[in-house]
Amino acid sequence: MTPASATRASEVAAAAAGRRPARARAVRRAAPRVGLGALMVAVALIVLFPLLFALSTSLKGGAEVNQYPPTLWPHSLDLGNYTAALQQAPLARFLLNSLIQSGAITLGQLLTASLAAFAFSFMEFPGRRWLFFLFLSTLMIPGEVTLIPNYLTVRSFGWLDTYPGLIAPYLATAFGTFLLRQFFLTIPRELADAARIDGASRRRFLWTIVVPLSRPALATLAIYAFLSSWNQYLWPLLVINSTEMRTVQIGLALLQSQEILSWSLVMAGVILIILPTVVLFVFGYRHVVRGLTAGAVKG
Amino acid sequence: MTGRTRTRFAPARALVQALAYLVPSLLVFAVFVFYPLARNVQLSLYDTTPFGGLSRFAGAGNYAELLRSGEFLGSLRVTVLFAVYTVPAGLVLGLPLALLANRRMRGIAAFRTAYSFTIAVSIAAAALIWEWMFDPNVGILNYLLSLVHGPRIGWLTDPHWALPAVAATTVWQSLGFDVVVLLAALQGVPDELVEAARIDGSGQWAVFRHVVVPAISPALFFVGVVATLGVLQSFGQIHILTQGGPVGATNAIVYSIYRNAFFNFRFGLAAAQAMVLFVLVLAFTTLQFGVFERWVSYG
Amino acid sequence: MRVKVTRRRFLRAAGAAGLGAAAGRLRLPNVSAQTPVRIAFWHAMGGNLGDTVIRAFVNTFNASRKDIQVTAQFQGSYDDLINKLRASLGSSSVPAVSQVYDIGTRFMIDSKAVVPVQDFIDREKFDLTQFEPNILAYYRVGGRLYSMPFNTSTAILYYNKDMFKQAGLDPNRPPRTFDEIEASAAKLVRSGATRSGITIAIYGWFFEQLLARQGALYANNGNGRDAPATAVAYDHEEAGARILEWWARMIKSGVATNPGRPTAASQRAFAAGQTAMTMDSTAVVRSLLTQSGGRFQMGTGYFPKPPAAATGGSIVGGASAWILSGRPPVEQQAAWEFVKFISEPAQQAAWYVGTGYFPVRRDAYHEATAQQTLAQFPQFLTAISELRSSPINRATQGALLGVFPEARQKSEDAIEATVLGRKTPQQALADAARDVNQAIAVYNRTMGAK
Repeated sequence: MTPASATRASEVAAAAAGRRPARARAVRRAAPRVGLGALMVAVALIVLFPLLFALSTSLKGGAEVNQYPPTLWPHSLDLGNYTAALQQAPLARFLLNSLIQSGAITLGQLLTASLAAFAFSFMEFPGRRWLFFLFLSTLMIPGEVTLIPNYLTVRSFGWLDTYPGLIAPYLATAFGTFLLRQFFLTIPRELADAARIDGASRRRFLWTIVVPLSRPALATLAIYAFLSSWNQYLWPLLVINSTEMRTVQIGLALLQSQEILSWSLVMAGVILIILPTVVLFVFGYRHVVRGLTAGAVKG
Repeated sequence: MTGRTRTRFAPARALVQALAYLVPSLLVFAVFVFYPLARNVQLSLYDTTPFGGLSRFAGAGNYAELLRSGEFLGSLRVTVLFAVYTVPAGLVLGLPLALLANRRMRGIAAFRTAYSFTIAVSIAAAALIWEWMFDPNVGILNYLLSLVHGPRIGWLTDPHWALPAVAATTVWQSLGFDVVVLLAALQGVPDELVEAARIDGSGQWAVFRHVVVPAISPALFFVGVVATLGVLQSFGQIHILTQGGPVGATNAIVYSIYRNAFFNFRFGLAAAQAMVLFVLVLAFTTLQFGVFERWVSYG
Repeated sequence: MRVKVTRRRFLRAAGAAGLGAAAGRLRLPNVSAQTPVRIAFWHAMGGNLGDTVIRAFVNTFNASRKDIQVTAQFQGSYDDLINKLRASLGSSSVPAVSQVYDIGTRFMIDSKAVVPVQDFIDREKFDLTQFEPNILAYYRVGGRLYSMPFNTSTAILYYNKDMFKQAGLDPNRPPRTFDEIEASAAKLVRSGATRSGITIAIYGWFFEQLLARQGALYANNGNGRDAPATAVAYDHEEAGARILEWWARMIKSGVATNPGRPTAASQRAFAAGQTAMTMDSTAVVRSLLTQSGGRFQMGTGYFPKPPAAATGGSIVGGASAWILSGRPPVEQQAAWEFVKFISEPAQQAAWYVGTGYFPVRRDAYHEATAQQTLAQFPQFLTAISELRSSPINRATQGALLGVFPEARQKSEDAIEATVLGRKTPQQALADAARDVNQAIAVYNRTMGAK
């Protein structure tokens, strides 16, 4: 159900993306621009306030952070928290781990889902409906159900505290398969018929025609997969033990310690950790939106 | 089902060829979804050792203990309540922001970035930032309240406030994603539709209500579904903010399972919990399909 | 058996095929003669100081030895640490040596995954005479020392002397009993010196300490030291309910505030001058001195007891270092060398002045750093005096319980339910006892303890 709607959402969005709507300009011109502009700035500040406050906190020195009333602006800019956070936790290493984990999962899902979706949309074989249902049924199984046995499995593989342990359980995706299948089905059959001669050319058909045509859908899946694995918390918490294997999310939580706590230090860690994704986001914003709009290429 | 032009391959051969494309996914599903499901059923029927081994057949013992302790029913209640707090809020806040961001004006790109900024903030980072803001004594929220002579609220320690507080964190963090998806959908609304409605003399609200909302309903549905699934996976923010407390007020189902399995090391009991959840999710999904799918229009 | 092996082999092969196991880090122990033995040390000492001090220990140790290299790995809270450790037992990711908190002792012994340090002590005739007797009394089980006490603490009272003065209380005489604390807190609030007389984190350890201060047992069978405990004891005696009544009464009358469970929250409130008193481990003396930034005079006092209690005392808290048997003997030996090192006077003194955890051995106080710090900050002395004035008996030795982490959690539930006015003390403790007893039963059954 999720994939269905996701696909359709992106399809609907795709249907009209790329146009430059010139709708209702008159109305907009008539709107009280200044007031609206102020409103928009205010809304932006409210949305961003927690982040700005975290930034300000991260620059506060020792005792200032526990002052009451809290200061909005730090009295003096103290970069000591940043050096301390970097000293206390190998944040760069955490970022690398997260990158490897999320990158591998994203690539893996793109690959397995493209292959499976291709079979479901371009090939006829006995048991197709049944196998497709089998795929979809995995969506109905909440992660909680598989959590404990998967942990035991990964442990028996000797994969605790390794990249395979982090990555392997997430290498296939029914959601992504569905998403891609829906998209593949929109590719004209004639293309497939023309190419359907033998196994070898079928493979070539997938890689040289279907995949390039499906870039928007693949981008959607990639973004979704990357974001959700980047944000994973519970699984890495369970399977990772050593400092050097931690992902950012777990590493971050470790800055928050049991008996001693300095908010300015933790906020410095938070800022450092979100910096890469923020940079990626700010510069890649267009692509994120285009990916989710999944539009413009069809036809 | 297009292209009923028949392949000449024998069915068995067609199946083998298709399987070549399906095996990567099937393998991952077999090891990390289906096997664990079966294993989980087994675990739920046993007393387990603290190391995850089977100790003694317990029959329905674990299930009986669940119902007896009341903790499980409490965690179900919390989960439902959490969904009630977060899912509509995501839509109600996300849509206006997306509408604002959909305006065409100079510098709109900056606003789009600002409104969807939290997409770059992971849940662990968000939880830490909000934990700091929630601090009852030196936190900014209580300070702002004190400026208007409001009470001092134990955001994370008062059972009435804890779940709303965790929900607020969650909504804030997912707001960026919601805005991106909804904005993409809004940009895909065909201008002709809007213009036509306007020419018919519909007011702005009527156009929004009868043209825009139906057009983006798949995206609204998608955001709702992703948020609902998110509720079932909400772990990081609870782990960081409240550890399920106070008095179980935020002990959502994933957290409860985690605690039983990996803190109390009652794998059998936790597996039984997961099984019950599985059945409930199945029932809910079927229901949701029936109710919402009908409302969404896929023009 | 055959089936199992086959299946596991299949899964392993399947997994490798699916992924290319090459991506995994190999964690083969390096045991050749030329290269040093590398061992991992897991610990829960986070935060600026804890982590820094540990790192300094490890660096000093590594620099002084060519044959052993230790890597310290911070695993989060004590709870997180023991759960990680439990999960890693029997797998290749188990460390050679790990810190485990006091209440993990019974489980660690039952896990049969450890090498008792007593083995090394006997072999080397290692001298324990300088060690604090109360500390050894806690960690000795059946006459054997299973783990090396490392960071030890008791709970003490912290108070803001400036507020005491302002409220007309004697800043040099901290309240000692439940009643005195309640009266002082009331006076502090009434005088307008503060909005909160005392802030106590809902921490099960305090409950355990407050029981022991009354000479009451936490679990049956002599706190689980005469035989494995089969049930908790706090639901039958008055001692448990007395604590909760007192605690809840202070919250209800508005003289105390509830910061929730994390002690970090009560520490911040105290350091920020938002409350006049707090209870906490002596381990945060240094941190509170720093965090309060000299804004007020900080006093320390003994943990309270009810007026009538006579036989009670404090339990040693903190953690000890365990050597795991899942590592080859050469690593176990290396772990022992490291364990010996961290218990030496110099390290114990550095640890003491850096945090507030008191030394496990008496000769550490002779170190120059310890002497200097004590002269400047008498607050560092409170906990050890408190401990030395405690008699050694079953109550102050502390309970041994395989499910202690869960039990502590349940007692926190009970405290929380009481202070939030959801349950009566008796009801809350009875509910906690029912859950814990059930967990104990399952534990004893599955672990084969009788």
